[in-house]
Amino acid sequence: MRRSRLIALLVALLPVLVVVIFVGFPALMALTFSLGYTAGPNAPVAQLAQNLVTAEHGLTLAVYQTLLHDRAFLQDFWATIWVTLASVALILVTGWGLALYIRFSSGWFTHVVSSIYLVPLFIPVVIASYAIVTFWNANGYVSALAAKIGMHFPGFGYTLFGVVIGQIWVNLPFAVLLLASGLQSVPDALIEAARDVGATTPRILVRVIVPLNMLPTIIVATFTGIGVLGSFTIPFLVGPTAPALLGVAMTNYYQSYNQPQQAVAMAVIVFVLAAGIGALYVWANVVSDRKAGKLQ
Amino acid sequence: MSIINISGPRREKSAVAQVRAGTQAGASRLAKGIGLALLLIALGLFILGPLITLFMWAFSKAWFYPALLPQAWTLSWWQQILLNDEIGHSIILSFTISPVVTLLSAVICLPAAYAFARYDFPGRRTFLVSLFATNAFPKMGLYITMAGLLYAFGLMDTFWGVVVVQLLSTIVIMTWIPSAAFAAVPRQLEEAARDVGAGLWTTFWKVTLPMALPGILVALILAFLASLDEAQGTFLVGSPDYITMPVQMYTLVSNYPQQAAAVFSIVLSIPSFVLLLLVRRYIIGGALAAGFHLH
Repeated sequence: MRRSRLIALLVALLPVLVVVIFVGFPALMALTFSLGYTAGPNAPVAQLAQNLVTAEHGLTLAVYQTLLHDRAFLQDFWATIWVTLASVALILVTGWGLALYIRFSSGWFTHVVSSIYLVPLFIPVVIASYAIVTFWNANGYVSALAAKIGMHFPGFGYTLFGVVIGQIWVNLPFAVLLLASGLQSVPDALIEAARDVGATTPRILVRVIVPLNMLPTIIVATFTGIGVLGSFTIPFLVGPTAPALLGVAMTNYYQSYNQPQQAVAMAVIVFVLAAGIGALYVWANVVSDRKAGKLQ
Repeated sequence: MSIINISGPRREKSAVAQVRAGTQAGASRLAKGIGLALLLIALGLFILGPLITLFMWAFSKAWFYPALLPQAWTLSWWQQILLNDEIGHSIILSFTISPVVTLLSAVICLPAAYAFARYDFPGRRTFLVSLFATNAFPKMGLYITMAGLLYAFGLMDTFWGVVVVQLLSTIVIMTWIPSAAFAAVPRQLEEAARDVGAGLWTTFWKVTLPMALPGILVALILAFLASLDEAQGTFLVGSPDYITMPVQMYTLVSNYPQQAAAVFSIVLSIPSFVLLLLVRRYIIGGALAAGFHLH
């Protein structure tokens, strides 16, 4: 039995190895590069870079210090945080609403609704962003509709809120799928029992349904949060030029300004934030496991 | 919360009061129903609106603001896009690379998915979570430093370089979802098969694999689409010789009239649409959701 466990470990290491070589190692190099280590594997990138900071000996925080005093960067940073929080909040609200509707109603209309919310899953993100910006911009369909009834609507194209709209659109299927599949496992008997002892609908929702569906909620929040934080395509096509989201800003620093070191430092900052959110995901899973263990 | 169909406790009432309450409740239920319907229609417009407008753009000859429908229709953009050499080439390239990526990803990840589901070895959970690092570290930051590595391996601007970059965005999907599917196969069934004399291999082929197949199919298709839709890394590693469909889309969006991008969008969406339709049942059934619970 011990031998088969060893084989299992080796087999499981295969994808981990790919990730270590092509993600772990470059990520580590990125970290050292942003800290002023420009030799070794970082040399090819450093060769043509502008605004390069090289640590004399050891490492330096100079790149980060400059960034944190750069007003443009700070604007980008807070724009990213704002868009991430707003997107996650709105995705959770819409996702919960839809998931509850799908769980507790039936008929042809519910069937239609549960088909429609899945549609974004079928559309590549590039296309989605493009479609959304044509629909919502100043000359878009929504503005045209508003003009027809005599109202002026300036549109959400090339604004931060436009990015939030794009994120909701793209992430909705994932959110509803997870939340609805969690709600399916809330037994009807439990809800009926609560109702029998006189609990009102909002009370049942808050005291029975929400606690039982906490883990999927946290999974949705963390995964969409991490996705939005590092996203590129949606803010690039839908968002404003300034302030740009960090995903777009780091691409600009690399491709347009030829400052890879600053770009990499931004990537490290986003990664630290994402890792924090990721820790929340792991913690939620562990806690839920422990509870499940106790119940058995 | 009108969305949930749970009413409060029923109380005894006189006949008249009951009838009156009935009409009142009926009216308020109707109002709630209409409100809910409006909300859901707004949602439908929110999701379908952008796609419908895009669709109309693909067939429009002239469409000026603020008209709600194009003033003149045409099919000429379809001809232009579909007969364009460069675009045709990128379509062929995409459909060559993505199957290779999916297959390679399956070979690397599926055995691991089974190992994660069925064996308890030291560091199992840490490894499972660490795969997610591919999604947590911003792609751009990775690609910048990865460029050095790919130069060293001689993979820049090559077929296999693009394959490697796209492979990275499939690993989580291809490990987590099938692993949950394998874990959901009851051990008792496997043991029962072993008891009646089936070998390890037969048990896997005849019992485990068929039961885990929906999850594996979902993962295969999602991985294929992730590879097909990957643009940023492909652009950095593949340029200028390996331009896939989504990379082409960036050029179209910025350099061509709206109609050209609209037509290409539809072409680019067809594979996703068809493939996901095939596994829609399993996705709704929870095959995707299961993959995101640590186990």
